[in-house]
Amino acid sequence: LKLETAKNVEPAQPTPGMQALKSARFLNVQMESVTYPGDILSPNPAKNQGKGNACLYDRKFLLQFQEVFKEKPSIDWDQKVKETLGDGGDSAHSGRPSAGAR
Amino acid sequence: ATNGANQADGEIVTVFHDPENFNVKHPLQHKWTLWFTKPGSGKGDNWNELLKEVISFDSVEDFWGIYNNITPTSQLALKSDYHLFKTNVRPEWEDPQNKHGGRWSYSFKERKSIDIDSIWLQVLLAAIGETLEDEGDNEVMGVVVNVRRAFFRIGLWTRTVGKSGPGGQRTNEEGKAVLMKIGARFKEVLGVPDEEQVDFMGHTDSAHSGSTRAKAKITI
Repeated sequence: LKLETAKNVEPAQPTPGMQALKSARFLNVQMESVTYPGDILSPNPAKNQGKGNACLYDRKFLLQFQEVFKEKPSIDWDQKVKETLGDGGDSAHSGRPSAGAR
Repeated sequence: ATNGANQADGEIVTVFHDPENFNVKHPLQHKWTLWFTKPGSGKGDNWNELLKEVISFDSVEDFWGIYNNITPTSQLALKSDYHLFKTNVRPEWEDPQNKHGGRWSYSFKERKSIDIDSIWLQVLLAAIGETLEDEGDNEVMGVVVNVRRAFFRIGLWTRTVGKSGPGGQRTNEEGKAVLMKIGARFKEVLGVPDEEQVDFMGHTDSAHSGSTRAKAKITI
């Protein structure tokens, strides 16, 4: 019985994207120039240079990440969301059907 | 001029180059914490038990990982709120850092005809990208969305009500000008038409009136 249980609780592994997020260092937005691939806009350098240490990003720049980075923050994220937000089962969103996965 | 830095740290690989093997991420100016208010059962709820800290983050990539994997506002139950506040500020009037502050807010009453997810996202991006205020204004504490039966309301909390308080470095006029500028940017981000009013109110006024519908002090 013990052995079977152990077999079933094989821990989930973090994805490569999760690991990259964890190990990546902060870019120095003021000092390092990055060549972004393709037609990716860079954060407005004029905004970021000579402005002390401020990291400013306009909304256009930020939106470019939306379809690029979709990794969950952790392997137990869905469980955490459920515990914190509730499962929404008793919700009353005006008859709107659940839209499912985004 | 930047060659030295680049070479010392090896090649810069962003999430756009390789979403599975990037080695740099884009830092935010501030660390932010996402909070959630659970709808109460109706009686005897302790608000402190309904207000839950979800997660904190300090990079653009971390933000998107969270945003892309959490319930959209449009699918939250009635009486839910999301709050995105600078880390170490609780999204409550009672927090010492909010005590002298107030908020800009606007209620979208046409719940069905607006895209609340897209509007709230624009507000989140303006907050974390630091485009709601200028460096040194030090006014923005956080942003809130309230899901209610009759409306979606989005608020922007400020540190002051524009008055020079104890130790304040601005005159009343300067303080008000900063608040008005922030209100105007907030209105633009919300996409509210010019003829509509976005209201500002101090938290103490809201508290004393016992209602968040107390008369607004400033409008824009």
